[in-house]
Amino acid sequence: MVSSALLGTERRPPHFEELPPAIQEQLGEGGLLDAAALATLYKRAGRQPLQELEPLPAAEGQDRPLPRPVAIRRLAAMLSGFQTAALGEWLRTAASKGWGLPPEHLPALADYARGRAEYRPLVVAAAGRRASWLADLNPEWRFLHEAVSDDPELWTHGNSIQRRSWFRLLRQHEPEVALEALKDVWPSEPAAARVEFLGLLSIGLSPADEEFLESALDDRSKEVRRAAAGLLARLPGSQYGERMAARVWSHLTVTQGLLAVSLPQRVTKAMERDGIDPEPHPGLGKRAWWFRQLVARAPLSTVEPEYLQYKVEGCSPEVLQVAWAEAAVRERSAEWARALLQAEAATENRIAELVRVLPEEEWAAATESLRSRIDLADLVGGLPVPWPAPLAVLVLDQLAKGGTARSWARLASIAARAVPFAVLNHPITREPTGEEDTWRSRLVETLIFRREMYEELS
Amino acid sequence: MLSGVAWDVEQVLGLAPDAAAAKAGQGQARVGKWSAAGCSERALWGLCQGSGKQPYQTMVELAGPAFRCSCPSRKFPCKHALGLMLLWSAGGLPADDEPEWVTSWLAERSSRAERSAERAEKKPGEVADPLAAQQRAARRADRVSAGMAELQSWLDDQIRRGLSGFDQRGYSELSRLAARMVDAQAPGVAGAVRRAAAVVGRGHGWPGELLEELSLIHLTVSAHDRLAELPPSLADTVQSRIGWTVETARVLAEGEKVEDDWLVLGRVIEPDDRLTVRRLWLRGASTGRLGLILNFAPAGRQLDPLPARPGEYVPGVLSYYPGALPMRALLTQTAPRTAAPRPSGLTPKQALAAYVESLAADPWNERWPLVLADVRPAVNGDGWALVDATGGLELLPGIDPWKLLAVSAGDPVTVAGEWNRAGFKPMTCWDGDRPVVLS
Repeated sequence: MVSSALLGTERRPPHFEELPPAIQEQLGEGGLLDAAALATLYKRAGRQPLQELEPLPAAEGQDRPLPRPVAIRRLAAMLSGFQTAALGEWLRTAASKGWGLPPEHLPALADYARGRAEYRPLVVAAAGRRASWLADLNPEWRFLHEAVSDDPELWTHGNSIQRRSWFRLLRQHEPEVALEALKDVWPSEPAAARVEFLGLLSIGLSPADEEFLESALDDRSKEVRRAAAGLLARLPGSQYGERMAARVWSHLTVTQGLLAVSLPQRVTKAMERDGIDPEPHPGLGKRAWWFRQLVARAPLSTVEPEYLQYKVEGCSPEVLQVAWAEAAVRERSAEWARALLQAEAATENRIAELVRVLPEEEWAAATESLRSRIDLADLVGGLPVPWPAPLAVLVLDQLAKGGTARSWARLASIAARAVPFAVLNHPITREPTGEEDTWRSRLVETLIFRREMYEELS
Repeated sequence: MLSGVAWDVEQVLGLAPDAAAAKAGQGQARVGKWSAAGCSERALWGLCQGSGKQPYQTMVELAGPAFRCSCPSRKFPCKHALGLMLLWSAGGLPADDEPEWVTSWLAERSSRAERSAERAEKKPGEVADPLAAQQRAARRADRVSAGMAELQSWLDDQIRRGLSGFDQRGYSELSRLAARMVDAQAPGVAGAVRRAAAVVGRGHGWPGELLEELSLIHLTVSAHDRLAELPPSLADTVQSRIGWTVETARVLAEGEKVEDDWLVLGRVIEPDDRLTVRRLWLRGASTGRLGLILNFAPAGRQLDPLPARPGEYVPGVLSYYPGALPMRALLTQTAPRTAAPRPSGLTPKQALAAYVESLAADPWNERWPLVLADVRPAVNGDGWALVDATGGLELLPGIDPWKLLAVSAGDPVTVAGEWNRAGFKPMTCWDGDRPVVLS
């Protein structure tokens, strides 16, 4: 019939006898278009459901209960672009309270987290039993495979994301078993994977790892060697630390309030193996640079904070101060951090990192005393959120006095996200902010938004 | 719109002129931003401190709705009006007596409305000069008949000489023909011709598809020729396919009336360059009757707010347009919307059978609302399908399946959607008893 329609009934008359009898009966004397109309409806009416399709397997597990509708509406508002920066906090809070979320929001969340690595674990947790199920169906959401599982198949046969999360999980619970698993596959892993897994050994790092890390100092890959040296320097009581300390003390003598330094002449093969960089460093003589690296990698237990008060001969005191600041950050030594900050030592921009090493309850006092030396926003911007309450009160009190001067804008945008739940009711949220779009109105809007968010999820 | 019932957030944000205003409005929806704010049965009001000395006076009349704000914003409604409505929808406005500045505005509005009503004078559907109207209708009928005759001879010509070469000339010729049908005051047929034009040259099977489309146009024309012989309801169907519209007032006065709690199965919005169309599908809780509420808005303008959200009941009366397959209707709401349980549904096999039954009544019927119960998602070639033991229905190619997939997670799920030959378009599904809007 179609070919007859294409060529024209003049040239090719249609053959209706090929049509089903029911159509022929209805057709009578009708022409091609009548036959086509009957055939069209015959076909449409005869449509059958698809057969032999296999339904997808169901995702196993349990769903958590949903929070109140107001909380879900807030989540939807954030996903549509309103106060989206609070999304991570919503997810974290909801997860800690045991709430799930409506599954229809998962596609938007997965799309959001796809390019934002810091959101991925949150979305994986929120997706629950659906995480791996969705990752299997949509290659763009492969990261959802991070859903944690201890199936050893994942280690031997999984993709790189599954292997990484498997290894991280095992390392958290049984670090020595994880090390053995890594040793098994180590020789056959490419350099990039070796660097990545080495990085994960920082979880639960202990003397049991030393032997393996020592051997990694002879790895083919420079990146692997550097990563191994970095880990060894963090290991208390290691041979690596002893070697470094011995090198330091061969160039340093202490006599009655005086530190006498004789800078090293060269970088030995053994020093290079331990990660000392022989290439020159901008702004520093190369011998002073070598010495600074040695001091920075030696254990702080072999030196005393009083040395900060001593005179230094043979090099600038700043070389030692910066090295100790680096060591204090690496070893998270509150004692040394306190001493370095009090001595107003040179740190090469490590003040905020040193404050971070102090116990939380000291942050407010340290901030108060350091604010004349360093911009407040630089100082508190690197601290983990949420802040302890006294620090949050100190910063908000300051901002409340700040009117609308533009210089406070950066501190305000940091504080908006960092103030803990207990301080979200600060008096600044009840002061009028005016109609205009200022840092002040944005700060207050965000604080109130977060306060309502916590209340809804409680 | 019932003024006594607060709108929900989605409805309020639907009024925003753009996304920026919606966002700014949410920023204003806070008690602290407002003073002397309140609401009555018919209006909301409040003072919002802006950058100027005087606070802005913001008011909203709920019927309509209508807005006034003394702020300089050129957006309409402005963020203050939106914020005030959001605050109200969250229960954040106290009931109060209308202050003078609000009552005077409302009075001004209602007197203006009366004046324009006086000017219009006649009620809709009431014809000023019955004789002239009859003459107009007769002239139109003549014009339609002439158009149908022209169309039929064009169709016969094409079939006699053949459709080959149509991939070159077909689109422009069919577009020209569609324009002729608009001139002939047969816009329904013009639409069918445009749909046929869209098929030309698309994929390998286009000649067969084109023949199907043309044969159904032919069916319309033949039915028009013998309109007087057809049963009255089928004649109405043919007339509506040709493009005769029945006035709203006549539908309300003469149309079949069914009272029920109408479950909102879902909605489909089709944006277009010129006109946005919204199809809202309803199903009666006790009668099981189906209904379709059509809404139109010029591009860039807002559609009316929904009477209820998908998955809720609207108690009310449907007045059906005439036809062999009563479907399109007008809704007169009689009580506030209420929550509804998860609806019952069909298997894919039963669902297809229901669509086939509708074809028997109206062979041109293209869309049909379906509720599928306990179906599970399956991969179907490059696309997706919903299946159970009786078989499966393919999802419409190109739709975003992910919300539906995420809700199901492989478990059986109830889904309401719109079926056409190309596939099933999900509108709403149920996560347990909770309705989830998909489109």
